[in-house]
Amino acid sequence: MGEIRTLIVDDSSVMRKIVERALRQAGLETLVVHEAGSGTEALEVLKAQRVDLILTDINMPAMDGLEFLRQIRAQNLAAGVPVVMITTESSEEHVRQAIQSGARGYIRKPFTAEQVKERVLPLVSAA
Amino acid sequence: MSVSLRESVQQVSDPRNLDASVEEVFRLMLGVECRRDGATFASEAESVTAVVGFGGLLSGACVFRSGAGAARKIAAQMTGMEFDSVDDTVKDAVGEICNMLAGAWKGKVPELAANCGLSVPAVITGRDYNLHVQAPEFQLHHVYRFDNEGFAVTIVCDGLQ
Repeated sequence: MGEIRTLIVDDSSVMRKIVERALRQAGLETLVVHEAGSGTEALEVLKAQRVDLILTDINMPAMDGLEFLRQIRAQNLAAGVPVVMITTESSEEHVRQAIQSGARGYIRKPFTAEQVKERVLPLVSAA
Repeated sequence: MSVSLRESVQQVSDPRNLDASVEEVFRLMLGVECRRDGATFASEAESVTAVVGFGGLLSGACVFRSGAGAARKIAAQMTGMEFDSVDDTVKDAVGEICNMLAGAWKGKVPELAANCGLSVPAVITGRDYNLHVQAPEFQLHHVYRFDNEGFAVTIVCDGLQ
């Protein structure tokens, strides 16, 4: 597997580190990580960088993860790049909203590295 | 069809849901076993409090409170780093733990999971302060222990539709 350029979006820097560690434990050793602390910041990253995978929280101040997803579609950024939501929100309604907004996967916090592997690896392998 | 939590208030206030949520979050995110402790929470001079608000069918908050030592240990377990003070990373880690506790707790009741939103965490640090909540509809207050460190988790419900 070649270099995987990944954008991790979470207002918590601790969670960004934990997600990165889980991705490496999942076998993505050739990871190049870009981080953003909000949806707004993430849009700026996507205007400047090409990425292969996006993992985003939902509950964030200013622009939440669902609005971030709508914005990347509206601004035609990261076309075809798989997006996985990582969030404490776990209801079927939240999953439905995320999928409708364009997410390809959904991971509930708290999570294990194994769950990250199961949800993310198929998306990266297919890309 | 309107949804009401009134009929499932016993399920919402079931203390086992909170215990299961705390154990799950600490096991998965910190890799430590955490158990409910019968003792009362002995507040240290310097403490860290994280608050995540609930809105929707249930209004209230999930409140996490620990001493500085437990907060630093939580951040260390989550990040693999050592901390000698309650810096921004420690506050961030405690806020995220509170966020996951609130999410895991409301996820135990399907109506709550679907119809109750969470705020982003607020974290308060300092010495010798009290947190007062006026006449809640119900309140769960449990003390837990991991690695010889204690902390308290409180669910305060001040409104239920």
